[in-house]
Amino acid sequence: GMQKRRDGEGEEEPAKSVEGWILFVAGVHEEATEEELLSLFDEYGEVKNINLPLDRCTCYVKGYALIEYADLESAKQAMRAVDGNELNDQILRVSWAFLKGPIRDR
Amino acid sequence: MDEEDRFYVRYYIGHKGKFGHEFLEFEVKKDGLLRYANHTNYKSEKIIKKEVYCNKIVLEELKKIIDSSKVLNADDDKWPEPDKVGRQELEIVSGNEHISFVTTKIGSLLDTKDSQDPEGMANFYYLVQDLKALVFAVMDMHFKIKPI
Repeated sequence: GMQKRRDGEGEEEPAKSVEGWILFVAGVHEEATEEELLSLFDEYGEVKNINLPLDRCTCYVKGYALIEYADLESAKQAMRAVDGNELNDQILRVSWAFLKGPIRDR
Repeated sequence: MDEEDRFYVRYYIGHKGKFGHEFLEFEVKKDGLLRYANHTNYKSEKIIKKEVYCNKIVLEELKKIIDSSKVLNADDDKWPEPDKVGRQELEIVSGNEHISFVTTKIGSLLDTKDSQDPEGMANFYYLVQDLKALVFAVMDMHFKIKPI
């Protein structure tokens, strides 16, 4: 399909998590490290937490990450700035992880 | 609904022992709703139940994980039946593909090597690990809870 900018995934509103606002990052290259992601994302505000799961078979990074910001504006800025950027020859996609309601059919 | 749009994932693992029915179950629907339930009698009697709407990007990642696992081509015909050790259920609908597997608990990869379908069971084993990793990451980040 056509590659679209996934800025905020359209009109759906993000849901706040227990302690902050969480972005979902896809297209993470398999040798990425938390430090690498932190240095990419902490430019936009305080990153409270990073979750970077490994592939259980290969032990390389599975390919996605969750990034938590303390405040909404930082998360928004990070999403707009990083979505579509390249990291190690792979395009990162960044969107809200959680929404207030169901995904709307397009 | 267009057949191509269909998407549903459900995983269950549990057993009934001297502490009662202990289980973990989660389900993801195509509208993004992730439902999670974890019941263990270790430390408490309560079932932890959570729900959160995930964005499309999360479902796409789930779909990618499933597609690369080759589990959609597997068959549980030769897999061991559930028993007193436990039960696992994995149901996936993705486009026009549908699988529904039922088997016993798999403790480790070693358990799969003795089966009649070591490759299929190993693919299933790793897919379950990867699905759990994503769901647990979601639970941890959104609700600050970890599975017991």
